[in-house]
Amino acid sequence: MQWRRWNNILHRDIGYLCAGLTVVYVVSGVAVNHIHQWNPTYHVERRTAPVAPLTAADLAPPVGPGRLLMQLGLTPDYRTTFRPDSTSLRIFVEDGTVDVDFATGEATIEIVRERPVLGAANFLHLNHAKQLWTWMADLYAVALGLLAVTGLFVLKGKKGLTGRGAWLTAIGVVVPFVFLWIYR
Amino acid sequence: MRFLLTATILLAAAGCRPAETPGTVYGERPTLSDTTLVSTILTDPESYLDQRVLVAGTVVEVCEKRGCWLQLASDREFETMRVKVEDGVIIFPMTARGHQAVVEGVVEKVVLSADEAREQARMHAEEQGLPFDSTAAFEPTTTYQLRGIGALIAD
Repeated sequence: MQWRRWNNILHRDIGYLCAGLTVVYVVSGVAVNHIHQWNPTYHVERRTAPVAPLTAADLAPPVGPGRLLMQLGLTPDYRTTFRPDSTSLRIFVEDGTVDVDFATGEATIEIVRERPVLGAANFLHLNHAKQLWTWMADLYAVALGLLAVTGLFVLKGKKGLTGRGAWLTAIGVVVPFVFLWIYR
Repeated sequence: MRFLLTATILLAAAGCRPAETPGTVYGERPTLSDTTLVSTILTDPESYLDQRVLVAGTVVEVCEKRGCWLQLASDREFETMRVKVEDGVIIFPMTARGHQAVVEGVVEKVVLSADEAREQARMHAEEQGLPFDSTAAFEPTTTYQLRGIGALIAD
């Protein structure tokens, strides 16, 4: 039948077009699903180090923070500082922060780096870009819908929608309802 | 096919490249021209309740996992103001910490029961990867924050 030929052509070509973005969404989707267990976008490295007894005056900008950073084995360049309370100081460095607690004499160094592949995938998946990307993502969603619908009619006969395909499609439809029934 | 490829790349480049700004805009570009000091708002927050204000300061903390809030340093020592934005609508990057920002938003009051305060502290610890003392006692709290509409964060 002529319509099935066109259906299969559409299914094939939309499939080719969607392959790249589907991989992006798959990778990011799994990563973001587990956001409670880890940070999918940034790699955050924290370590503590003892510092010599200090007072707020010792860490007064512009010289104090740089001196402390050098003591911790870091480059002395810093962006700015902030005093959260009377006994601590936060120094903002290029890739993170250094929190100094005068009371305990301990510094917490936090280095933040964006995960190169996942960070980019999440940027697209979570639509940080907005603007034209919103339309692109909508177009991709419509294409996925078309892929699903045309996929139903690729085969005819026992393996098609009137045979095995009907059962598999039914399972796919029922699964979300089962979870809704369990969790809502 | 070559035309299609070229057109796609040009279209993507045109749409994804943000306009030149002195910083990066998150959400709506701030429109107010006069800034209000964070310390002024926090001294008498009730008088600013539900008002749209523009505040400025250093970003000292950002929600690590969702980028759904940031903490802005006040002009007064040891003081910050929390800026909360709608999840997924505005996403602040962790790299904003230590950068200057101007934020426009509406001042709002957040009243929490002891249980809600505990839950918020637990969620905060989870988001920031910090330890949470489940045995700690919590009391009902009233805080004031900015419901963020838009921010311009310096690069």
